[in-house]
Amino acid sequence: MTGSPSAPILAGMRATLPLLILALAGGVPLLHAQMDYNARVGLTWATPLLRDDVINEIQVRQKLAPTLVLGASLPIAPLYRAGLELALGTSGYRSKEAGGSAVDLGTVRTGAITLGLEGPISRAFRWHAGVGLLRYLPTEDRGIFLRGGTTRFLAGAGVDYRRPILTQWDLMASLRYDFHRFTTAELEARGFSQSQGVQRIGVTIGLAKGLR
Amino acid sequence: MSPRRLLPLLSLAIAVGLLSCADIAAPSRTTAYEWRRIVATAAGPDTLSFHWPQSRLPVRIWAEDTLNLPAHVQQGIDQWEAAFLYGEFQGQLVSDSSVADVIVTSGLAPKGGFSITRLKALAPECQGATDVELDAGGQQIIPPIRVYVDPRFAPSSPGVDQCMALTTTHELGHSLGIFAHSPNADDIMFGDPVVAEISPRDRATAELAYHTEPSLSVAPR
Repeated sequence: MTGSPSAPILAGMRATLPLLILALAGGVPLLHAQMDYNARVGLTWATPLLRDDVINEIQVRQKLAPTLVLGASLPIAPLYRAGLELALGTSGYRSKEAGGSAVDLGTVRTGAITLGLEGPISRAFRWHAGVGLLRYLPTEDRGIFLRGGTTRFLAGAGVDYRRPILTQWDLMASLRYDFHRFTTAELEARGFSQSQGVQRIGVTIGLAKGLR
Repeated sequence: MSPRRLLPLLSLAIAVGLLSCADIAAPSRTTAYEWRRIVATAAGPDTLSFHWPQSRLPVRIWAEDTLNLPAHVQQGIDQWEAAFLYGEFQGQLVSDSSVADVIVTSGLAPKGGFSITRLKALAPECQGATDVELDAGGQQIIPPIRVYVDPRFAPSSPGVDQCMALTTTHELGHSLGIFAHSPNADDIMFGDPVVAEISPRDRATAELAYHTEPSLSVAPR
């Protein structure tokens, strides 16, 4: 969790993910009938990406990020399902110095892919836990992203609420919490050591199909 | 719900909680050199410091179209912008000198008047100077800041173009608020600059300059 993903791990995930996506997309007919899909939109809030201290403390943080989440899962045991979730967000990010005003630094897009497990809490609620990768994609390579974006390991958990609204469709509301450690190549080059723990909370609402 | 069902979730929450404690550690900026200008006044020494306020960004810079100056200025702007992490400085080349905050021309600096604070650089193949004009009270900069870069040999002579480039970056350093010279030859802000790139010390100095309350303000456009 504290370092940049190593090449072998990334290569393994790159090889595994297309297979999972193919299976989830209907490539395996037997599994297709048991598959659950969902699409949600919402907002993600995050703690500061960076705390620096030049003269006074400076914080860099993302603004509230509109987020699109696509998810799919398959049963792996009577109570449990394994799933894949893709979350895409975009927001501005800004710095704020203690006693000073905020400065807009640009826009950063995030893409998170998580492999997770889920299980029941009650009839309407299910827990969800997963690990994955989070990619930061700045629209401009400058400031803390002068040497480009960064990919970080991610771990998270959450709760889903589902309520049937149509024959095959459920209303789905989700609360997600995740955690990763943030740094960039530029920060490392400048001598920032360790990395910043970043916690994110996302609230989304959407439609789900399949799990009944 | 049985506790057994919640076990994976609780385990993950505890692991995440334990990992979330430490923060990133900022680098030391103690290598920075003195960037402020100390001037003698009747009442004793006065310390002049300046940085462009956020409200004046991007700083508008005009460059005379000769001796590759526009390219050198753009390169200098890029280097100084990259020195900062938090958007403290942004520069922009403009085509109209009448709206410029900084004017860069070739040639020797004319003799300065009483209110001119002149900061000079003297490299072997070229020389540069930056004139910062203050108001009568000595507390406000009257733009434009004027930068002069002059080849000491024929412009096509070996090393002159490189000298013009690094001296332009050096003089732009003065125009953005580094009002003194580094004592270290590895820095672009050394009095007789020889390096082409901004050093970590230059960067740390610029960061300190832009996070310290300046003693000088800049007059409205």
